[in-house]
Order: sequence, then C-alpha cells, then structure tokens
Amino acid sequence: MIDFSTLKGATLWERWQYFAQTMPESEAIIHWRAADEPVRWTYASLLETANKFSHYLKNIGVKKGEVCALIIRHNPNFYPLYLGIVGIGALPSVLAYPNPRLHPEKFRQGLTGMAERSGLNWIFTETALEEIILPFVEDKNTTVNELFFPMEWNLDKGLNSDTIQELSEIRANVKSNEPMLLQHSSGTTGIQKPVVLSHEAILKHVENYGKSIQISNDDKVVSWLPLYHDMGLIAAFHVPLACGIPSIQIDPFEWVLAPILMFMAASEEKATLGWLPNFAYNLMADKLSDEEMEDLSLESFRMMINCSEPVRTESHNKFFNRFKDYGFKENALAAMYAMAETTLTVTQTEANKRANELSVDREQLSNGKVIVAVELNKKKICVSSGKLIDGCKVNIIDEKRNVVSKNGVGEIAVKSVSMFFGYRNYPEKTAEVLDENGWYYTGDIGFLYNDELYVIGRKKDIIIVAGNNIYPEDVEDAVSKVELVLPGRVIAFGEDDIELGTEQVSIVAETSVVSEEDLNYLRIAIIRAGMGINVNIHKVYLVPPRWLIKSSSGKPSRKANRTRILNKNDEQVWSKK
Amino acid sequence: MISERLKNIICKELLLDTKSVEINDETQATEVPGWDSLNHANIIVAIEKDYGIRFKGLEVLKCNNVGALQNLIDSKVSK
Repeated sequence: MIDFSTLKGATLWERWQYFAQTMPESEAIIHWRAADEPVRWTYASLLETANKFSHYLKNIGVKKGEVCALIIRHNPNFYPLYLGIVGIGALPSVLAYPNPRLHPEKFRQGLTGMAERSGLNWIFTETALEEIILPFVEDKNTTVNELFFPMEWNLDKGLNSDTIQELSEIRANVKSNEPMLLQHSSGTTGIQKPVVLSHEAILKHVENYGKSIQISNDDKVVSWLPLYHDMGLIAAFHVPLACGIPSIQIDPFEWVLAPILMFMAASEEKATLGWLPNFAYNLMADKLSDEEMEDLSLESFRMMINCSEPVRTESHNKFFNRFKDYGFKENALAAMYAMAETTLTVTQTEANKRANELSVDREQLSNGKVIVAVELNKKKICVSSGKLIDGCKVNIIDEKRNVVSKNGVGEIAVKSVSMFFGYRNYPEKTAEVLDENGWYYTGDIGFLYNDELYVIGRKKDIIIVAGNNIYPEDVEDAVSKVELVLPGRVIAFGEDDIELGTEQVSIVAETSVVSEEDLNYLRIAIIRAGMGINVNIHKVYLVPPRWLIKSSSGKPSRKANRTRILNKNDEQVWSKK
Repeated sequence: MISERLKNIICKELLLDTKSVEINDETQATEVPGWDSLNHANIIVAIEKDYGIRFKGLEVLKCNNVGALQNLIDSKVSK
C-alpha cells in the first residue's frame, strides 16, 4: 500500500511535480483511442507540457482564482492543459461536451446559468464549437473574458529559465487551503450547483480514500467516465494522478458505442481498479459477446466499484456470472457512496471483498425500520455502500434533523474533512443543505447496519439515469411547451428499468387530443422536446384534462401521479407498450 | 440506401411509427427520437438478431450515420 506520509506536496501542482522529479518516466495517463495507438504521458512529459500551457495561459491574461471552463472532447492535450491551469492558480472546471442532440440554444442557456453562479472567466474549447459558444461569449452580460482554442496552440518551443522562474513564483503563492477546482454537483440544464474544492480537501480525500481501497503502486485505473462527473474527475483522474499511479482514459462517447473498449484497455494494460455506475454492469453483461471477449482477460481487476446510482444486487450477480470465465473475481465487486460536495467518497466497501448484502423486510423498511427478513416474499436485498472512510461522519436523521434510533431509516447527513466551501454564489441553496456545524444534508435516504451504510432511495424527486442526475422540473418545463400538451399539466418521474439496471425518464402529460394518430404524433413531439435538453424520455403517458392529481400547492403531484400511473390499469391513460 | 427492413427494426425498437419519422442514409442516431446511448445497444442487438449477424464494437463505432450502418450490415450479409 502507498505510504502517504512519504508523499510530498501541499498543493496538487507540488504533488504532480514531486512525481515528475522522483519518477519522471513513470506513466501518468494513458490516453486510449479506439483502433489507434494510445498516447502515453509520463509524469515528466505531462508536467513539461503543462508548464507550456501555464506559460501560454499567463500570457493571455489568466489570473490566479479565475475559473477556466474546459469544453473539450477526448483529446491527449486536455490533461496538460488542465494541469497547466492549476499551475497558475486558476480553477479548471470541466463542462460536458454538447451532445449533438442538445439544441445549441439550450446549451448556451446552460452555460449562461452556469456562468451566473460559477462566474466563468474563460472558455477553452475546440474550433468545432466556436459557432455554438461564440454568441454566449459575445453577450454583453457575460462574465466570460474570452474564448480560446488551446488544442490549436503551438507548444513546440521550450520555456527559458526566466519563464520557469516566473511560474515558480506564481505557484509559491498558491496555498493549500485555496480553491483548486470547480465542479458542478449535478443538474441537467437549469439547476447547476457549483462546488469549489481546495487543494487540501482533494489531497486529504486522495489519502483517506486511497487508504480505504488499499491503493498501491501496482494499481492501474481504467475509466471511460466523463471528467465533468465527480466520479470520473476525482476517482479516476485526481486519485491516481496524486498517488503516482497510471490511469487509462477512454472517450465516454466511444465507450457508449463500443463498451468493449473498457475491457480491451483493461486486458491489455492490466488495469486493477475501475468505477462504474450501476447501469454499466447490466449493459456490459448483456451486450458484450463471447466473440468480442475472446482473448481478453479481466483477471487483473481487484476492485470494480459501483457508484452514482442505487447499487443493485441483480446487477452484481449478472456481471460476475457473465465475466467470471474471463477471470473476473467475485471479490472485486465493490461499492461506494459519494458526492461532489464531500470531494467524492463518504463510504467504501472493504477492499478486495464483495460488497455485503442484507435481506431486509420490505414492508418494515417502508415504515422506517430495518428488520432482517425471514419471509422470502417480503424480502428486499440491499447492497452495502461500505464503511466510512477516514475523515467522514454520517448521521441518519428524521424530518426534524434529529438522529434516528439504531437501525432506523432516514435522510443521510454527512460531515467530511474534504467538504466543499458551499455552492459558489448560491448562498440560499447552501443554507438549505449545509448547517452551521458543517453537516451536509444529502437528500438521500438510507440506514446504518453493522457500521455499514445502505442507501435505499431519495428524499428529492431527482431521477438518476445511468449515473446522471436529472431534475424533473427541467423536463416538465420542456414538455410543457410542446403544442397540444396542456401547459403546466405535466409530471416527470423516474421509472425503474430492471433490465438496464437504472431508472428511465417517464412523462405523464394532459392533452385534449384523442385520435390515435394525434396521440402518436404528440408522443414523438414530447420525446423530441426531451432531446432538445439532452434528456431521453423513455415512456410517455398521455391523459385527458384534469386527470393529474394536484398537490396542496395546486401543482400536479409527482408522487401521487406516479403511483396512480404505475399501480392502476386506467383506460384513460394512453401509452405505447 | 437504407432498407425498409432496417428502418422497421429501428422503429420497432424505439416504438416509432415508420411513417412519422424520416430515417435516411444521412440520419444520425441523435436525430431519431429515443435513440440514446442506452437504446443504442438494444438496436444493435435487434439488428444482429434479425439479420443473423454479429457486429464487433469497433465496427459499429465507425458508423456515423444509418447509411454506414446499412453498409456494414450488407457487408456481413453478403459474406
């Protein structure tokens, strides 16, 4: 296991530089490319190019503390650019690369919303996106100074000693408790919550988390996770880079088209650690053929860690049974509970041991009690998210934020030494979730049993599709504007897709149209409205006017209507089966 | 040109009426209602089943529109 007490560096830059000096030829990042040779960054080459980016960034006017948005698709120069931003004390913020289905105007609206809160100062992107992003940068109200295309910069020229000295002086003024990066905790288009983390928070997290998974110099990470997502950015990028171990980075856009890429890379590079949202377990088990798996070995994996959406026992079983013949070990099935607000991990299952499972009485659980199930038909199997990592505390609380009794079910409240500063420029949201004693109220529901955390649901209505958080409000707003949908008479909710191992977005909308042709037309229009905000609407239920049950506020109730749709065979409900 | 057979498979998988959506050689997955990353795998499996062929992940990756997918199918069927 890595002895963290021997690692130098109070800031991330210092830590990376320490590795560049002590193990210059060790691999830092293996930039994987489908059907092409990977680009291999050593710590020395990575830092050398990062220095050039720092110099360039300084020359165009980027200053310490400024936020640099990165909207760049899988590119080998992304990593030194990211490091170069950190190397002048500015804050990198990785934003999602726009999916082609997302309407450019919606993408700009998302940027505007983000810029308001996050205070984006600079945008670094690709020339292919100039047309889409430029109107946002040229808007008179924008906070953004300028748009740049750093992948086009000529970095051939080396740096002279004066320049290196200047950069060293800038770096000497960056303190460990100062902001290091900005990430967005969740959200689709409308509600983005900017989370700022310090060097100290991240380095402490790397250490505490690294210890919990017994990270060693023999480890190698493989990941297709997008770097705008906390699991991709922290677990699969910052953790290995600050531990001095390599990470293999795969393009998420390519992975969804060819999931075999992850195993090809893992087999060839002998990866030991991976993180996946639950849906990926089902997708890979169901879709990868024996022909594709031929000659691949998964023996090197010691932990495949399930996170970002509810962990399902069926998915673990399916994955293990499908891949055991290729060397995948049952003990590699791990899980964790994590969030951007605490840098990442709160709890982690024991290293090199299958995540525990607990059979509880389903009825008692819905009444807020954890009773180990005896009757088979009442059984619900919950998968553990593991024990607290060092530096974290958890309380299970009731509606009044009082701690519940032993084995009680309630909201999960978290305290961590790697806590965020509060949502940037969003004090009202911060006040809602973070109290004066430093407890963060997650909105997730769960319980503690034998010191392990089990997460079973959410207090909020957020829909988690394949590890992405989707706010029903965003979808409802988009669908409400569709012609022939009665404005405001829409609800969006998450419906379990057992086969895929995730939730899918369902819509219930009131309409006056009745003919089969019109209803079909309206269904497609609603799905297209979802596409416009990059949300795939899986099921559309169309209902006549005044069908939706209202809550006390006068708005359609998501909970009541969801139950009504799922439980009742109502002839008034139209949907495509 | 894409065949009615391929169009029917895609529409059946996405619960779309073939008359209500236009799918041609140039159509990209992101333009078809419901064709997202999760459904993509189902569509590929449905095509494989219907034509009795197998795709390799990297082959599908190279298809940037439905026309290219049709060409890939044709190349496999003719073997």
